[in-house]
Amino acid sequence: MLRFLNSFWYNFKEYIILTVLVVLSLFIISQNHSPAVQRVRAIAFGAFASVTSVVSDIFNIKSLKKENELLRETNAKLMLQLSKLREAAIINEELKNLLALKDTSGYPLIPANVISKSLSRIQGTITLNVGKSDSVKVGMPVITDKGLAGIIYSVSNNYSIARTLQNVDLKITVKDERTRENGLMKWNGENLVIINVPKTFQIKKGDRIVTSELSSLVPFPIPVGVAAGSNNIETGIFNEINVVPFVDFAKVENVFVLKTVASKEIDSLELNFLKKFQ
Amino acid sequence: MKINYIISILIFIPVLIIQTTVIPLVSIDQVVPDLILILLVYYSVTEGQIYGTVLGFIYGFFFDIVTGSLLGSTIIAKTVAGFVAGYFSSENKIDIYLMFFNFGLIVFLCALIDQIIYSFFSAFDISSNIFLIFFQNAFLPAFYTALLSMIVIIFVPKKRIL
Repeated sequence: MLRFLNSFWYNFKEYIILTVLVVLSLFIISQNHSPAVQRVRAIAFGAFASVTSVVSDIFNIKSLKKENELLRETNAKLMLQLSKLREAAIINEELKNLLALKDTSGYPLIPANVISKSLSRIQGTITLNVGKSDSVKVGMPVITDKGLAGIIYSVSNNYSIARTLQNVDLKITVKDERTRENGLMKWNGENLVIINVPKTFQIKKGDRIVTSELSSLVPFPIPVGVAAGSNNIETGIFNEINVVPFVDFAKVENVFVLKTVASKEIDSLELNFLKKFQ
Repeated sequence: MKINYIISILIFIPVLIIQTTVIPLVSIDQVVPDLILILLVYYSVTEGQIYGTVLGFIYGFFFDIVTGSLLGSTIIAKTVAGFVAGYFSSENKIDIYLMFFNFGLIVFLCALIDQIIYSFFSAFDISSNIFLIFFQNAFLPAFYTALLSMIVIIFVPKKRIL
């Protein structure tokens, strides 16, 4: 028996090792959401990010001049927009007072730099140089001047990883700004798509898509992209709407983390409501 | 053997830093070459199949844990890629396999397998266009990686010093 095992090992050791490692990999995949794995991951990427931030800074210096020019131009445009918005804000304030609406704006922003990227077409992630010490928490939205870039997924003391919109594991409730119709947006490996959109919905090409207030991740509207037509699914009652994101994930360097997480109060209220009817 | 593993892991660290900081700058429509795979194939060809399989597992583990991708998806992809690359490991033919065109073809094959497995575990969706996903997520990155590997191998001495 021992001789048989010995000869079996000698003849097939490559395949045995491959099988063991593949089984081990599958086990690791199943342990992804375990808190212990999350803790190890936070420590590991925190240590790695402190090294990559140095390298990233070196490469960023070259692009600073060009970026400065762009920022000056953006600044001028924003100044013009600001004056228009001030006018609108005054009118808005009056109307709000009339309707006794609660002001929900004014979320603080945490500036951050992207220090490394995983530009996979499936699982896009970016590492930011802000973490727990800057009050960053899991679930906070990451935005640029153009719109939503992603959601914080893992946090260490000084660094954090955000899933970009080009990540199959990130799904966000969005709405058409014009028609106010809601839908679930996800990355399907090729495009950003709003899935299971009833064919009766009036979402048209060119419509601005923003995050929905129904979202448990982003509680107020942030621009996401523009609708780029439907994937005409002939059968069934649902359509898929393609969305072109405003943010260019390959070029994103400076971002803001929006210091807000979905209200626990709302979550618990909804949960209690569901439990009541189960 | 153990020292070889330590050296290959030490070399992996700067390669991983370059992969996550510099390589995105040379992406073409979000298609990026995989430097880690090139290193893995090189070690599999020069050190053997078992070495390549184990090293693929280690490289995949470190990559997954620091980049935030689904833990295990890169591990399984790199393990199998290292195993396949190991088929091209032969004492007598190392010099032939490390010639720039041959090495490029081996890297292309391994990158294709690596990317297909990675895509399967991280984004398998029956409603998606499988052919398009295969082309965008596997073929294009594999081709880019193979091209880069041909450039890299020119500067690597044929006698193994890494």
